[in-house]
Amino acid sequence: MSGAQTPRPLVRITDVRRVYRQGDLDVEILKGVSLDIGQGEFVALQGPSGSGKSTLLHILGLLDRPTSGIYELDGRDVSGLSDDEQSEVRGQLIGFVFQSFYLIPYITALDNVLLPALYSPAQTGEARARAVELLGLVGLSDRTDFKPTQLSGGQQQRVALARALINAPRMLLADEPTGQLDSATSREIMDLMSAINSQGTTVVVVTHEEATAAYARRRIIVADGRVDHG
Amino acid sequence: MARLSLLLRLARMALVSLWAFRLRSCFVIAATGLGIASLTIIVAAVDGAQKKAVEITDSFGPDAAFVLGGDVFSRAVGQRTSTLTWEDVRRIRQSLPGVYLVVPMRAVVKVSLRYGSSNFVADNLIGSTEDYATAWNWPLAEGRDLTREDVDLAAKVTILGVDPARALFGGENPLGKSILINDTPFTVIGLLSERGFSSGHGSSVDNRLVAPISTLTQRFNLDRKHFRALRIKFHDAANMQANVENLRSFLRTLHGLGPTDKDDFTILTADEVLKFLSMLKGSLVAFLGVTAAVAILVGGFVLANLFYLSVSERAQEIGIRRAFGAPAWAIMAQFLCEAVALTLLGAALGQALGLGLGQLLARLEILEIELSAKIFLLSVGSAVAIGLLFGLRPARQAARLDPIQALRS
Repeated sequence: MSGAQTPRPLVRITDVRRVYRQGDLDVEILKGVSLDIGQGEFVALQGPSGSGKSTLLHILGLLDRPTSGIYELDGRDVSGLSDDEQSEVRGQLIGFVFQSFYLIPYITALDNVLLPALYSPAQTGEARARAVELLGLVGLSDRTDFKPTQLSGGQQQRVALARALINAPRMLLADEPTGQLDSATSREIMDLMSAINSQGTTVVVVTHEEATAAYARRRIIVADGRVDHG
Repeated sequence: MARLSLLLRLARMALVSLWAFRLRSCFVIAATGLGIASLTIIVAAVDGAQKKAVEITDSFGPDAAFVLGGDVFSRAVGQRTSTLTWEDVRRIRQSLPGVYLVVPMRAVVKVSLRYGSSNFVADNLIGSTEDYATAWNWPLAEGRDLTREDVDLAAKVTILGVDPARALFGGENPLGKSILINDTPFTVIGLLSERGFSSGHGSSVDNRLVAPISTLTQRFNLDRKHFRALRIKFHDAANMQANVENLRSFLRTLHGLGPTDKDDFTILTADEVLKFLSMLKGSLVAFLGVTAAVAILVGGFVLANLFYLSVSERAQEIGIRRAFGAPAWAIMAQFLCEAVALTLLGAALGQALGLGLGQLLARLEILEIELSAKIFLLSVGSAVAIGLLFGLRPARQAARLDPIQALRS
């Protein structure tokens, strides 16, 4: 990152609003959020429930669209992309980790890890080798053929982490990744995320747990649909 | 190219999902299987009927006409009038152009036969002149046909059909043997080859024997002037319509019918037989067709409903796939793959079931079936169609789910 040029942020959102229609009422969840996240940052999004932090994460992950405002990802305006194009960007640049793991119950750990590769143009053979490698990295080499129900919560979240990394994303988005785990397991997961971040992957974690937020180098507080760059 | 390889991967994924939800899959396979089974039977049966019709008309002979006394279409069978005479035969032989064979016939039903200790009741004893076998395109398996001499002498000779020959002689050669027909001894001079189809009254055409018409008239004390039917063969099979018209006006003149009188005879040709048979086939198609259509429709609805259920139960899976880069069309393609895979399995089951049942019905002589590659192509084609048609709406619904809503469900 040295040199005369200012590094371009990986994420730049400008005056993003998100309005939901509930019955006859318009509810404004995000009230004009502007935010930059640089390549390789480790950011915690914190705030009370209903503050809009999950909505912000979904918009960052292209799972939701802002009602107005601009979202630039890696220098490209992605807010106006078609559904197919957004899916492609999501598959290639973004990895998700969720509170409830969200593994597909009827396929093996290995096939779960391979799932994002299914929709990317990468070679199946290479993806498979990489999936095995990633499961090794999260300490589950001996569990590749297990179904999610045969794994503990911590193991499931590690499978989910490996899955998030299979397409080598630029940004890892985690929504309360330790919300269902005990503190020891939470530490293991967050240590893994730190290790991933230290390889250059941007990590954004939504959490209300102090111990989890402590791993981040920058905290963003979301309150009542606005951000406070703390 | 990338899409194609994705489709292949989706197809593999679809099979994994089907195995995971095997109970549901079984229901869909069974439901479409029943539909395809009905379809298989209907196609096999219609083809069978078609083949039979061709066989029957072939054996009837494209160059032949069969004249019956009386108007058989407006009178009940027992009331046919005897209108054909020896004079008709003589005049047709003499004066009708294009005719090369005229064979008069009459029949006595239910005659009892005996040979040694074996007894048999034959459905028909046919009286005919010479060239019976030629006139009916019915090759002899053994022995000889009737000759003019047999007829002139009213010889007590007979040609056996396969049924009486088997019943009386078993494996023994009947030629030259003497059998009793209603207690009168006849010598067996020939054996008809096996035809193997029903004559239309539920009895086999092979259940008959033939003797000189003169012998029949004498021994059974029948009307000496009239006989039942006339078999006529023409040189020019391509012009049967003209041949039949000539024959009709000739017979009307011979019988002295005025312009307003109805025919007092009926002329049947292979065309008439074919018309009658295709009428039968038509009702077969209608009946089985409705059955098959209903069965297929039921299969389709079962599929659609179970897929709606599947989409709502697997909403979270859909959300996960969307989050990890699956475009909407890939979700739709996956569910369509699953639907088509199931209906194809249903087609395999249905064909096995349909062919099995068809064989059984054929063996019980309820249906005649004919197997062909057409059955395979039709059932595979309709299976794919059911899968796509009835899977489409649930698959579209799956593709339209909002990823976040789907994840949270």
